[in-house]
This record gives sequence, structure tokens and C-alpha cells, in this order.
Amino acid sequence: MSSASPEIAPSDVQIDDDQIGIIKTVFEVIKRNKTLVSGLSILLLIGLFSLFGTLLIDPERTEVGAGRPAQSPSSEHILGTDQQGRDVFADLAYGTPASLIIGLIAGVIGVGIGTALGFLAGYYRGYWDTFISLTTDVFLTIPALLVLVVIASMTTVLSIEAMGLLIGFFAWMGPARTIRSQVLSLRDRSYVDVAKFNGVRDIEIIWRELVPTLMPYIAASFVGTVAAAILASIGLSALGLGPQNEPSLGLTIYWSVTYGALIREMWWWFGPPIVVIVMLFIGLFLMTAGLDQVSNPRLRTSV
Amino acid sequence: MTTTNDVPLRVENLEVHYHTRKGPVKAVDGVSFELQKGERLGLVGESGSGKSTIALSLMVAHKEPAKIEGGKIFLNGTDMLSLSDAEVRSKRLSEIAMVPQGALNSLNPVMRVRDQMIDGLKAHGVSKSKEEFADFIAELLRRVGLDGGVAEMYPHELSGGMKQRVTIAMSISMNPSVIIADEPTSALDVVVQRQIVQTLLEAQKQIGAATILIGHDMGLMAQFATRMGIMYAGRLVEIGPTREIFNNPKHPYTQLLISSLPNTQGKRRLSGIPGITPSLLNPPPGCVFHTRCPKATERCKIELPNLITEENEHSQACHLYTEPAKSEEEVTA
Repeated sequence: MSSASPEIAPSDVQIDDDQIGIIKTVFEVIKRNKTLVSGLSILLLIGLFSLFGTLLIDPERTEVGAGRPAQSPSSEHILGTDQQGRDVFADLAYGTPASLIIGLIAGVIGVGIGTALGFLAGYYRGYWDTFISLTTDVFLTIPALLVLVVIASMTTVLSIEAMGLLIGFFAWMGPARTIRSQVLSLRDRSYVDVAKFNGVRDIEIIWRELVPTLMPYIAASFVGTVAAAILASIGLSALGLGPQNEPSLGLTIYWSVTYGALIREMWWWFGPPIVVIVMLFIGLFLMTAGLDQVSNPRLRTSV
Repeated sequence: MTTTNDVPLRVENLEVHYHTRKGPVKAVDGVSFELQKGERLGLVGESGSGKSTIALSLMVAHKEPAKIEGGKIFLNGTDMLSLSDAEVRSKRLSEIAMVPQGALNSLNPVMRVRDQMIDGLKAHGVSKSKEEFADFIAELLRRVGLDGGVAEMYPHELSGGMKQRVTIAMSISMNPSVIIADEPTSALDVVVQRQIVQTLLEAQKQIGAATILIGHDMGLMAQFATRMGIMYAGRLVEIGPTREIFNNPKHPYTQLLISSLPNTQGKRRLSGIPGITPSLLNPPPGCVFHTRCPKATERCKIELPNLITEENEHSQACHLYTEPAKSEEEVTA
């Protein structure tokens, strides 16, 4: 390989298949892809906060009457307490992972169903396409949040997982549409024909040729769906329709609104959940942008 | 006369129609030819004459709305059109390989060259260790004039010519008995075109595959083909040894085609062929070329000429070379 022709010489992405090569690749990506790294760092920070928070903080501090009500931040309660004496910091530590779990469950379900349907419709065309596209379009016209509000208000006890499932079942239409249109354009590319000429089976063409090419789209729709699901769950909780017995970011906002935290200038109560939510969305966005560069070798910048 | 099994490729009366809203477009209308072992056939014709449709049909990879309406394609004695999808897939690459049109898009941008080449082999159940595959691929790449290191590269790191060499390397990876090269030099500059055709020629000679080169560059055809077929409006109007076609063109269309080529011997006005290709939705009755043919007679407007073989394996479909009485007998018979 060292005797490469001059045409090969400028390429510095010669990567061997061995372990060192893989580690080197990861290192290269980290060095070059600052967007992805900053996005991941923010999410990692939030993740670590939830992990150590739930491990180190006594869950009883999230319960009503754990401390004296409406205290401003002190050494005993880092972010003070709310109107009913819950520790706001403990609330955040237990509420953040709940929102993340809802987002992840909904993201996996929504993108899973959406991608499968998108490939089915886009690659095989015909009746599958007609049926799937029609169903997708019909479901798109249904305002998901409204349906979620109705369902959530009907159920008395809603767990975190159930909420994730529920939101996930209303999140597949977007991915299905984007993936379908991408597959429609990709299936007629010359290299898909070449794979066919070489006797490769359809399922392998989808898996080996189309899925890797579409990874940026799938990853982007995943992150997008996760973000939308978190937003929906926070929205529902903030309306008081989410799980009431487990702390979540939305529930903290719901209580702070109910007890007029804004007018009473209890910034330590309504502020922190907003900061966490904003950070979460910035992190997710940066990750989408960064993933695009990883999946598409042409966007990789040489140093 | 050889038996069917010895002939790598034999096409009988192939008919491919594109089904449009206005009706069927007869893109390929009754084409028959045979390819002997190691033979190189050049298929020329203007755009829309059915060259690429033939190529896709031979791979049984034609796409909607195209449909093979009739005829037979014998590949090493087996009728491709009678096989199941899975059987057709197993024949592709191992027995009939294709060098595609448009070198620039024919490789997957997110896969290394090596992985793309291995995929086709694995689809045919070839199993080798990683090292054996690496050696095999490097050897294939060397055979088409590339460095073995190209295997590790992504398509965007290659030039257009290098990409086309990779597709040639792919096509010979399983020693097929037939290779179809559908305008492999489109979108490449003339110097590279020549090199690519030379590469194809060398690769073809190494494995002894019967090859069809499709294109409209008569110069490249002369460089490559041992035999040439001239297509017009979905029909094969003339087929014969390359030298014969250039020196002694029989069909008026071929004659006009040859006379429209620049020549190094003496200056002369280059002549074109007046008119345009007829609509294949409603092809004219009789000979499809009679609307543009300077030698057309009344007979050409009514009667469809058949492909008649004369001396030197040279065949043409033109009434100029047949007696009306004789062919009338054939018609009534």
C-alpha cells in the first residue's frame, strides 16, 4: 500500500482494518468534527447529571414536604424548594432522565416504524407505496398533540414508558415521508443498478447500499423525533396531563405555573427546568449536524 | 454451425416495448443476433434506437414501463426469460456482467471500492478470508491498470477514468462468458475514452468473454469490435465484420453513417443524414428508414425488409439487395 500511485497520495484517510485503525478513526472524527463533539458533550453532561443525581440524591427529597416550602437557594437546598417543599435540584435530577427516556422510546418507535414503511414504499413501489403513502398522509392531518391530550386526560395513571409509546405511535409519519422520498431518488441511482447487475439481492441492496447512504437522514430524523417527543411530553406534563406520580421536567413547570412562580419571582423554581430543556435541544441539534458529517464522507474536512 | 450450448449468447427475435399512456413504444422490434466465444460485437445507433434497452433486457434488468414482449435470450444455452428472479440473479456477474453507463455515478459514494467489489462476489456465495479477498481484489484492480491500494478508497477520491476501470474490474471478477459494456466511455474525455476501451479490450482478451460494446463513437468501435451491428429505430439494420461494415456498407443508413465520419484521406464535405428518427409509437409501415432513405422505392413503403445474410457473414435488412418477386413469394408463403 505504501507504493500507492500519486493519485492516492493526497488522501490521508487511509485506515487499516485493525483495532488501531478504528481507534484512530474515532480520534480523527473527534478532532475534526467539533459540532458532533460539542453536541455529544452537552448531552453527556445532562446524562451524567441525571445518572449521578439519581444515584446520589435521596428520592425522598422529590416528595411533597421534603423541606420547608418556597425557600430560595441555600447550602441545604442548592436550587431551593418549591411551594410544596420539594427540592428543585432533586426534582431536576429525577425529572431529566424521565424526559430523556420518553424521548428515546418515542424516537426508536417512531423512526423504526417510519424507516421500515419508508423503505417498503420507496423501494418496492406499487400497491405498497399507494397504501403506505395514503395512510401516512391521512395520519399527518391528525393533530397529534390534540389526540395525545385526549388520550392522556382519559387515562388516570400514565407511566413514563406508556407516555413514550403513545408519543412514538404518533411520530412515524415524518420519518416515513422523508425516508420514502430519499429512497425514491436513491433506488434509481446508477450504483443501485450496478449492484443489481452484479446479482445482489434486493434486501442486501437496501441494507448495504441504501441504509448507509441514508444514515444521516435516519439519524437526523431520529434526533428530530426524540426532540419532538420530549417537547410533546413536556407540553403534556406542563398542561398537567402527564405522569403525576413521577417527577419530570414538564411537571416541575406545571407546578411552577400553577403556583405562580413567575409573579412571585421564584426564579430557582421555573428557571432551571427551562435551562435544562434548552441545553437538551441545543445538544440534540448539534448532534444532528455533526452526524451528517460522519455519515457523509464528502463532508469530512481534511485537516 | 455450432450447437446452442456452445454459443455464449444468442438473441432470437427480441421485442421490448415501453408501455406509455399513448400506447406501446416499440423500442426493440425483432432483434436477433448471436455471439461466439471471445467475439467482440459493437452495437451502434443513434439515441433512442434501442441499444441500451437491449443491454438491460439481456441482463433481464429492464425497468417499468419496459416489458419484454417476445423473443428468447439464450445465455450459454439457457433461456434467461424462462428463469425465476433468483436464477437470473445467480447468472448475473457470474455468467453475464455489465459495465454500466455513466462512470461517475456507478459506485456507491459511502462505500469503499473493496466492499463494493466484495458484495457482488458474496451475493454469489464466494467465501474467502479477509486476506484472500484483499489479494483477489488487488489483483483484479491491477488487471485493469489500477494500483491495489485503490481498494481502500472511496469513489470520490477517484477520477472518472479510475471509476470506470473499477467497474470493469468488477465485471470480470467472476470470469463471465458475456460482458455488456453500455457506453462505458460516456462523460469521459477522448484520451481517457481510448484508454478505457483499451482496458476493456485487454480484460476481455484475458478471460475470453464474448463482449458487446454499445456506443455511437465509430472510432472506438473500430478500435474494439470484431463485428458491428447497426441499430435503427429498434431494429438491427445491418450486422457484419467491422472491416466489412466500414469498407463495404450495404444498408443506406450505414452508408450515410459512414460517410458522415471525418476522414484523414482528402478533404470533403461531411454529409449528415437528413430528417429525424421516426416516432416509435407509430413506426412507418414498411422499412423504418424509408422516410429518410435516399434510395427508397415504393416497395420500401409497404414491405418490411428482413435481415438477409450474404457473403462474409455480412447481413443487412434492405430491399436493394433482394428481388421483389422472391420476397413476395416469401410474404405469401
